[in-house]
Amino acid sequence: MNRALLRLSLVCLAMFVLLLLNINYVQAFKASKLAAEPGNIRVFDQQFTYQRGAIIAAGDGTDLKIAESRLIKGTDTYQRYYPQGKVYAPVTGYDTIYSESGIEQAENDLLAGTSPQLAVHNLTALLTGKQKQGATVELTVSPAAQNAAYNALTSDGGHAAAVVAIQPSTGAILALASNPTFNPNELTTFNGTTLNKVDHRLLTDPSQPLLNRATQETYPPGSSFKIVTSSAAFSRGLVKNPNSLVDAPEPLRLPNGNDLINDGGEICGDGHPPIIQAFWMSCNTAFGELGMKLKAPTLRQYSSRYGMNRPLSIPLPVVPSVMPDTGSWLDPSLTAFSAMGQYNDEVTPLQEAMFSAAVANHGKLMYPYLVQQVVGPGLSVIQRANTRLLSQAVSPTVAGYVQSMMYQVTHNPGGTAYLTAGPQATGGITIDGKTGTAQNGLDNGNLDDAVFTCFVPGSNGQPSPIAVGVIVQGGGFGADAAAPIAVQVIKAYLGAHS
Amino acid sequence: MSLPADIDQPVLMPHGRRRTELVMLGFAMAVVLFAYSAVGLGLKGRLPPGLPVQVLVFAALMLGAHLVVRRFAPYADPLLLPLAGLLNGLGLVMIYRLVQSGRDGNLGARVTDLSTSATTTQLLYTGVGILAMVAVLVMISEARVLQRYTYTLGAVGLLLLAVPALLPASHSVVNGAKVWIILGGGFSIEPGEFARLALAVFFAGYLVAKRDALALAGRRVLGIDLPRARDLGPVLLAWAASLLILIFETDIGTSALFFGMFIAMLYVATQRTSWLLIGVLMFLAGSWLTALLFHHVMERFTIWLHPFQGSNPTNASFQLVQGLEGMAFGGLFGTGLGQGQPYHTPLVQSDFIFSAFGEELGLVGVMALLLVFGLLVQRGLRAALAVSDPFSKLLVGGLSFVLALQVFVIVGGVTGLIPLTGVTTPFLSQGGSSLVASWILIGLLIRVSNSARKPASQPIQDEGMTQVVRAA
Repeated sequence: MNRALLRLSLVCLAMFVLLLLNINYVQAFKASKLAAEPGNIRVFDQQFTYQRGAIIAAGDGTDLKIAESRLIKGTDTYQRYYPQGKVYAPVTGYDTIYSESGIEQAENDLLAGTSPQLAVHNLTALLTGKQKQGATVELTVSPAAQNAAYNALTSDGGHAAAVVAIQPSTGAILALASNPTFNPNELTTFNGTTLNKVDHRLLTDPSQPLLNRATQETYPPGSSFKIVTSSAAFSRGLVKNPNSLVDAPEPLRLPNGNDLINDGGEICGDGHPPIIQAFWMSCNTAFGELGMKLKAPTLRQYSSRYGMNRPLSIPLPVVPSVMPDTGSWLDPSLTAFSAMGQYNDEVTPLQEAMFSAAVANHGKLMYPYLVQQVVGPGLSVIQRANTRLLSQAVSPTVAGYVQSMMYQVTHNPGGTAYLTAGPQATGGITIDGKTGTAQNGLDNGNLDDAVFTCFVPGSNGQPSPIAVGVIVQGGGFGADAAAPIAVQVIKAYLGAHS
Repeated sequence: MSLPADIDQPVLMPHGRRRTELVMLGFAMAVVLFAYSAVGLGLKGRLPPGLPVQVLVFAALMLGAHLVVRRFAPYADPLLLPLAGLLNGLGLVMIYRLVQSGRDGNLGARVTDLSTSATTTQLLYTGVGILAMVAVLVMISEARVLQRYTYTLGAVGLLLLAVPALLPASHSVVNGAKVWIILGGGFSIEPGEFARLALAVFFAGYLVAKRDALALAGRRVLGIDLPRARDLGPVLLAWAASLLILIFETDIGTSALFFGMFIAMLYVATQRTSWLLIGVLMFLAGSWLTALLFHHVMERFTIWLHPFQGSNPTNASFQLVQGLEGMAFGGLFGTGLGQGQPYHTPLVQSDFIFSAFGEELGLVGVMALLLVFGLLVQRGLRAALAVSDPFSKLLVGGLSFVLALQVFVIVGGVTGLIPLTGVTTPFLSQGGSSLVASWILIGLLIRVSNSARKPASQPIQDEGMTQVVRAA
């Protein structure tokens, strides 16, 4: 029987080896994954017993704390605090006892100190008996621009609106504001009942304060999409240069028998204007005609080159701005509408800023980003932003053509934004832009959305400092409602960076 | 053949190594003492007030056990008692730690189904367990005398297994498992723990008697010796019985242990691999069938395969997920005793006590625990190998194997290696039946290891010589 007993011993040995291997797997190899499981009570209970990293707006060269954890007196518990309240809410998001949003969510493992990048520091802290600490996240946001953006949106009469400002040469986001918004300090309570009440109120509020309109909501781009249409037309050689003449009938008879008309039935020049004039006057028929000639796939291709049709992570998640390629998109009559930013085109306010940023940066569209660097508890930089090209939207020549057309929008007395973003309105700052007045809703029954995308061109060999995109929901004419917001952001930013 | 020169010298008796046992026991007690202190220091920064009394009582019990072994089994394996004592002591420490959670101003939530007196009760059961072990050592001079009670103990074992199934639910169900005899007054017995021991004796006696028929008769098919159909009878009976346990007592763990022990002993008795194959196939088929037929068995599989899927972590697999997250939270070195959050895991004091060790002692701690278990099993198997009497060999081989299997089933279950089934962790889990039964098992191991290591009572004859029969 001993032979069988020896074999049985081997079976016992195998069972213990399996158990040993498995506990190594659970407690060593899979431990960090298990720690990151949603609803991990232990990690949850622990999260407020050490200091979560701060979030800082560093875009103006000085550090402004926009989120920090403060020790509650007489306890060993830290509570989150947002010194700037509502102003940065769309950027920071919130950090409640149950969940996070915004940067608080996107950079959670670094802020909470659970990231593998902080493992060495945490081990040192454990061995030296120091307290574990989260990393500090430094953002590209400029407090000057962000404040101006917030003030401009809130003084606009309560329209739902959002504005995004980008540094075109890097993609660094200088401002990202959305209105209406919320006060994240209301959500930092440790009391679950209070939190649920606040949460319920915010979620059921018809004005949707928790919605980050800058990145999570899309609107028809309206005439601002003519940047894409003209870029395609120049790039494909359909139109040679800004002074080439284009057809701009009034109305434009579409293949399906309908008529496409200019805004207010206005005649566009002499019916055969140079494209630059059609652009500054924002004639629909000229660009509808171009769109039908370019055809939908080409238009869509150029919309993708401007960063559309793909989700982004800045690292806030950004819903894709789209020109859909589904349904009846090949119907040339509908392509005519697509070419002027109607039909199914949908963009985020961030995308509006990206249109201008690409043009301002000689056709190079940089990937937009919010996090400049992450600094560990030992003040060592553990993560640095690397600027990268998102796409070469157009050639530098074509970018120059589009820029010259956008210049006329604000500088030609007939340009749509001459009064609101022209030299008189900006106090001498040169802004190139494009307006949009987007019809939307069933049968276009809603108030028009006001759209404005613009940038300050580079000068004396300096790159363009800022590009801005604004969408005001139901704001009406783009030049009137949206352009002044962009002008205020630009003025504030340049004022702080001159 | 010439005789060795020193044939007339007195034979050097291998000493019983009782002093080694005492030293090792002292070492085990020191570990328990430090662990107990660590709980108090971890929870409140000072030593637990009950420490001197409880540790002294525990140490006195162990010392008493040692003295009994010294007297009644002087040649026994010196590691068995210290290993079991260490495990039992650490179990006490963890139960004390869990009782303290959320009580007396300590951090954490209360482990609601653990009363404040649980540590004392467990210490009491330790005493009962030691007494039971002492009774085994005193009353059973040689394990093979148990062979006389083969069928009696077989009947007792089956009866013990069946009682909970026959009792009304109000007298037999605790936490969904119908494996208890609830006597009232907060006192209940889990008879399956004792049934396993009784049935081990029955299997050993039965198989020793029938092993030749089981081993030799049959045909050879495809290189495997198949048994005769009529010899399959007892196997089928054991299989059916284990399935019945599974169905009527909703207890997969006991069923697996019971059947596993039987197959292992059958294999050792007959040395026929075909029995192993047949047994494993029958067990798999039985599990599969019951999984198809019974929702709660299928649910165990679902929990095992998809613990983190959908709403499982907050519902069906909450316990497993809490155990796993606790172990992960402990990481390599653990949070330290008293400083983790094991109280989140339901039934952490019984089924999931291993994960509590994982959380607070870390990977290094539970690896050490597993090695202690492994060593205990190894010492048992060693005794089985060394003893000459086939009945004792089979009995101790089977008991050692079932100890290993029990550790595998419960530790594998709580760590997600295999589907979770509720069996106790030997010596560690809270509960008297398991602890007392485990100590009886240690008593049997000590008894058999004593027989195995005892020097022959008569001088060994030299082969080739005529046998010398000496007058007493």
